[in-house]
Amino acid sequence: MNARESIGERGVRAIARGALLVFFTQAWGFQAGWGEDKTQGSVEYFEKSVRPILAARCLGCHGPEKHKGGLRLDSRQAIMTGGTSGPAVVPGNPSESALVDAINYGEAYQMPPKSKLPASEIAALTDWVKRGAPWGFEPSGAIAGKPVAAGDRLSAEEFRERARFWSFQPLKRSAVPRVGMGRPGWVRNPIDAFLLAAMEERKLEPAPEADRRILIRRLSFDLLGLPPRPEQVAAFLADRGPDAYDRLAERLLASPHFGERQGRHWLDLVRYAETSGHEFDYDIPGAWGYRDYVVRAFNADVPFDRFTTEHLAGDLLAEPRRRFGTGSNESILATGFFFLGEGTHSPVDVREEEMRRIDNQIDVVSKTFLGLTLACARCHDHKFDPITTNDYYAMAGFARSTRIQHAVIDSPETRMAAIRRIKALDQAVLARVPPARPAIQPATAGEGELFEDFSGPSYGGWFVSGEAFGDRPSQAGDARLAWDRSGARLRPVAPGIAHSGLVADGFEGVIRSRAFTITSRFVNVLAMGRGGRVSVVVDNFEKIREPIYGSLTRGVDHGDSWRWVSLDVGMWKGELAYLELADGAVADFTGATTTITDGQGYLAVDEIRFSDARAPEAHEVADHSLDLDAVVRELDKVNSRRAGELSRALEQARSARDQLPRPTLALAAADGTGLDEHVHLRGSYRTLGEVVPRRFLQVLGGLDQATAPPGRSRLDLARRMIDPVANPLLARVIVNRLWRHHFGEGLVASPDDFGAMGKKPSHPELLDWLATELIDSGWSLKHLHRLMIESSGYRMASAPVARYEALDPGNVSLHRMNPRRLEAEAVRDLVLAVSGRLDPRMEGPSVPVHLTPFMEGRGRPSRSGPPDGEGRRTLYLGVRRNFLDPFLLAFDMPVPFATMGRRNRSNVPAQALALMNDPFVAREARRWADRALDRPASDRARLDDLYQAAFARPAGDAEAQAALDFLADRAGAGATPRDAWADLCHVLINTKEFVFIE
Amino acid sequence: MHCGRFIDRGLTRRELLSRSANGFGALALATLLNEQASAAGGASLPRAHFPAKARNVIFLFMDGGPSQVDTFDPKPRLTREHGKPISVKTHPTQFNNVGAVLGSPWKFRPRGASGIPVSDLFPHVGARVDDLAIIRSMVSNFSEHTAANYFLHTGSGLQGRPSQGAWATYGLGSESRDLPGFVVLNGGLIPPGGIDCFNSGFLPAAYQGSVFKATGAPVANIAPAEGSAELQKRKLELVRALDQGMLGRVGNHDAIEAAIANGELAFRMQTAVPDLMDTRGESAATLRLYGFDDPYLPTQIYARECLIARRLVERGVRFVELLCPSVGGDRWDQHSGLKSGHQNNARAVDQPIAGLLTDLKARGLLETTLVVWAGEFGRTPMAQGTDGRDHNPFGFTIWLAGGGVKGGVIHGATDDYGYHAIEDKVQIHDLHATMLHLLGVDHKRLVYRFGGRDMRLTDVHGEIITPILA
Repeated sequence: MNARESIGERGVRAIARGALLVFFTQAWGFQAGWGEDKTQGSVEYFEKSVRPILAARCLGCHGPEKHKGGLRLDSRQAIMTGGTSGPAVVPGNPSESALVDAINYGEAYQMPPKSKLPASEIAALTDWVKRGAPWGFEPSGAIAGKPVAAGDRLSAEEFRERARFWSFQPLKRSAVPRVGMGRPGWVRNPIDAFLLAAMEERKLEPAPEADRRILIRRLSFDLLGLPPRPEQVAAFLADRGPDAYDRLAERLLASPHFGERQGRHWLDLVRYAETSGHEFDYDIPGAWGYRDYVVRAFNADVPFDRFTTEHLAGDLLAEPRRRFGTGSNESILATGFFFLGEGTHSPVDVREEEMRRIDNQIDVVSKTFLGLTLACARCHDHKFDPITTNDYYAMAGFARSTRIQHAVIDSPETRMAAIRRIKALDQAVLARVPPARPAIQPATAGEGELFEDFSGPSYGGWFVSGEAFGDRPSQAGDARLAWDRSGARLRPVAPGIAHSGLVADGFEGVIRSRAFTITSRFVNVLAMGRGGRVSVVVDNFEKIREPIYGSLTRGVDHGDSWRWVSLDVGMWKGELAYLELADGAVADFTGATTTITDGQGYLAVDEIRFSDARAPEAHEVADHSLDLDAVVRELDKVNSRRAGELSRALEQARSARDQLPRPTLALAAADGTGLDEHVHLRGSYRTLGEVVPRRFLQVLGGLDQATAPPGRSRLDLARRMIDPVANPLLARVIVNRLWRHHFGEGLVASPDDFGAMGKKPSHPELLDWLATELIDSGWSLKHLHRLMIESSGYRMASAPVARYEALDPGNVSLHRMNPRRLEAEAVRDLVLAVSGRLDPRMEGPSVPVHLTPFMEGRGRPSRSGPPDGEGRRTLYLGVRRNFLDPFLLAFDMPVPFATMGRRNRSNVPAQALALMNDPFVAREARRWADRALDRPASDRARLDDLYQAAFARPAGDAEAQAALDFLADRAGAGATPRDAWADLCHVLINTKEFVFIE
Repeated sequence: MHCGRFIDRGLTRRELLSRSANGFGALALATLLNEQASAAGGASLPRAHFPAKARNVIFLFMDGGPSQVDTFDPKPRLTREHGKPISVKTHPTQFNNVGAVLGSPWKFRPRGASGIPVSDLFPHVGARVDDLAIIRSMVSNFSEHTAANYFLHTGSGLQGRPSQGAWATYGLGSESRDLPGFVVLNGGLIPPGGIDCFNSGFLPAAYQGSVFKATGAPVANIAPAEGSAELQKRKLELVRALDQGMLGRVGNHDAIEAAIANGELAFRMQTAVPDLMDTRGESAATLRLYGFDDPYLPTQIYARECLIARRLVERGVRFVELLCPSVGGDRWDQHSGLKSGHQNNARAVDQPIAGLLTDLKARGLLETTLVVWAGEFGRTPMAQGTDGRDHNPFGFTIWLAGGGVKGGVIHGATDDYGYHAIEDKVQIHDLHATMLHLLGVDHKRLVYRFGGRDMRLTDVHGEIITPILA
């Protein structure tokens, strides 16, 4: 209130001063020369009718003290210069003036923000602009006439200064400290030397090595997320060889469960989920394929630079990794992570929704791979780090140029062999029948602007996905063999058609057009087919359905006649879009649940026009197809042997089609038209700044980055991202994540933020030593795991010693191990493991979420999964954004919205209540007891079995006594042995030792 | 196609299920905040920044977006121009099926000593209008339910941010020893966006909203798995003994000790929650006041929610949110059938809300309890089709009562059509800032470091709505 009043007073003073100055005009000189009317009358008019409004309503935010949006309204020159989004006023032209638009509460701005001006004031300001925006008087030297720097821009010096921050400095491999003389054998590798040096500096002693039983339990959970089996514990205890521990570690590193455990950590970073949340929680088809990719990649120890490249550009690699056995494209699966975010159902503003998705992608990529908060630079340059809005929109350009696809990933050799086989068999048919008459080109009667008629020798500017459309439109002489209700037919295909059934109907594929700006009401597509789909994808918005978006997609299912399919795009004039012509291999959102369209039919498109009129019905074209069954019959009358040959050839051609396996699809990225993005001033696409070419962050990629060749730009981004010299962060960030998983806390305690707001490294030399070691090893993560777990530091016991706790309260120097509660997944997997229910099957579609009556809301699946998830590891339970598993949430499984490199480790009664009262736990406890009782043994021996399974140790005497007393009590109360033992197992699950690892 | 008209999937059947042996679930209990327990999370709790006017909040969430021009913001122009095309530029809407101007089917009458007009949809609440601070110039940033719901609840249109109740309990803790600090009463309609409207986001899980069902078993895992309390006690004794053994072996680790303490709290909750839900001790007059005897089932459900809200406040629960019951058709989301849809929704909540206000006041609780009535947006002055209204985030009405706000006042205004707020616009961030302010918390100082930023409920916005402060 005070500010407003004082401005009011200043306004009044300004008016007085203006009036006074009228008499001294000659002496002061004027700011003139912008073509403004500077007569006495206009000056008076301004001072009387306009300046008071500006002073009272605007200058509080756009005056001498604050310049919001870089705009000042206290001098004419400042108004003409305008703010970050350009001049505020075009003299004489109210409709072109941003200021007039803003006071009328237009699209871009609504000013003043709290309340619209009274109509009289709006009229006055509009009139003022119409009159040419005359100004009053002011002293030339005193005005704030020079352009106001946009307050949110980072200066070059400041950028350089910030770039000196430790995390941006090149990796430095420090000499390994020479310590440990007084402690022979403790320093097993350089990790220990760095740790010990830090401890010695603080007069700390490392904790003694933990008991072997604790070590095997710790190792097993850390590496596999599963408890050691009793026989494994026994074998390890019995192994007196000097390398017993190392062999145990090697065995665990080689276990296929290793990838499951490490993969789940990774999924936290990429906000992995299988539905897109929001209102109806639509499925993200194929999401689980990404999950399995991650598991296999960690098991295969795919070099981390390669893994990173595959994430950013796995669809563009000339030589992708092929999956062992099937030969399918493995690398492309990584790009699925781009599309695992939230997605809005029927957004009112589709462009804004695109920027929301892109913001999330930028956030995830920058935090996951770089430990940087690039998303903070969406509206203004980063407040603390050397990151600019230009960096943000340079990266946004990559996202905008990237499309979603469901790629066919089968080995091309296998698919080509199938295609060749079908073609050869077709040839055998064709050789035995008269040539087909050429097809008749449909009379198009096309109106409007021709977008495409497929008359070229190739698909030209189209992006081809999958195999159905081949590599070119049809050419003269093309024909296809097809079976419909009337039998086998040879159908000639006119040249110049995008046709997905030239080889056979069973193939799937999509062609996508270059990006274009929507200018007309309709996109008219002349098409025929069965099971095809034609869509206009606006601003990369995939979830096309009612309400709002229903007119953007049409199924093509009318068969073998040409018809115009009209898509009404009138609502999106001015937006960027592309056309998608699909025969299978796309997600269909028009129903209640998401499905992948069936690729059994075909789609043919002759031409595409943009028009303001819906296209008319196409003329029927004479059917020149040849009824091959009729040919057989005719032939049979004259030559039964040749008729038999033809019939057999047809049969073979048909059965080859029937045997064609369905293609394997994968959620993946695809390159679209390369698009550079504008800077969005203050984060709004409605106020555009300069165009920024696509490039990597300047602080890591350099100030001058050559423009990447079109079509390969994400590959270029990946190349820069993995450059260990220019980008030290990739290695630093990932080794820190591994460290956190083994030691409980990262060397940098903020694993997703290595910027100025993050935490400083506790052991900077060790961090860099690990990072360089990673790179030198060829980016082998298993090598790093091995170094960490073989260290003496990792093998320390966790029991606190009061003296050292006082010296190192948060255990920053790692003078002992940190005990940890198991993660949500490990708790559930452990319950299943002890009960014997655990099903170790790997990979595949997720087990449907078990829905309790307390899990309600829109998008609830119609059917619930089984309460025990079929015994599968938690990794394989469905992750539905709006129906996350309450048991897992209670134990801090993250809500998948952004990168989460540091899960909460909360301690809430819900955890106790779940273990006490959740029927799942009670049932598994009973199963565990039944298993124990099925083995003939003494009660004490049985008890030891339970302890071995859960805690990797036998029961202590006092514990055993307490448990046996309990059983006796229960028997005394009339419980059957099975009930009593089930109660005991339930008790063990509820002990803290069950869910903590020492 | 609908925008997800709510389809009643058979609440009663679910209720039955929830009582059976298989009825369990609830992330709800993830919350169960207790200060000793949450202290183990390591977060030091900021105390109130300045003296608080309100100790508790009851947030009456009007799911779907009630129409401002049919409830608290009369617009004669709509009646005058009923059936004519609207004469201002319209924004894109969720359905883009823009019809003619639609006059309100309800009469407005001046009510109370203040004479503030309230429509016939809310006769009971209208009678309490002298307790209300009505904000007629509310705006939101989103036209879709889910984004708008997240925005109203968390200050961000995206999933995964902490809810207002989570912020409030994070900031102030709870005064209840045996109950969570943030309780959501589910009358039947979980809003679009799901339980993430009440989540703790990046705040520790202790601050999540616990969703209690208003009828039947309130929450999963609260009933002991054992047949008898005796058996459970005996089992927990053994757990305790074994845990002590572990502490003896591994030493005193905070995390382990806190987990043990949590088990104790969980045990207490098993009785505290049923005690909370047991309304048999309430007088017949009280029950009537809330509308328990109304023949309309949704009214009975909401009456129970309102009564339990008071009981939660009495037990020191910091933040209580009430979700609407299903009236069979749809929530307050009348894209068509405005008349019957709004009538039913209003009937369900009108008397219970008035009863709550009356009861709180009679018990001296209204002074320290802030009651907020709000939807995620309002509705368009023009019809969708012929007899519905589409979403309108550009100007709508909410009200506040008790807990340090003036009664019988109107703040802000919309234009003649009731389409845009044009006077004293109030952003969702301003509402949040004001709620926190009344609780004694400075919204700019209630921060949590996440992802490299000091995050706030109000992001970088928020101004306190000072004219409505008492």
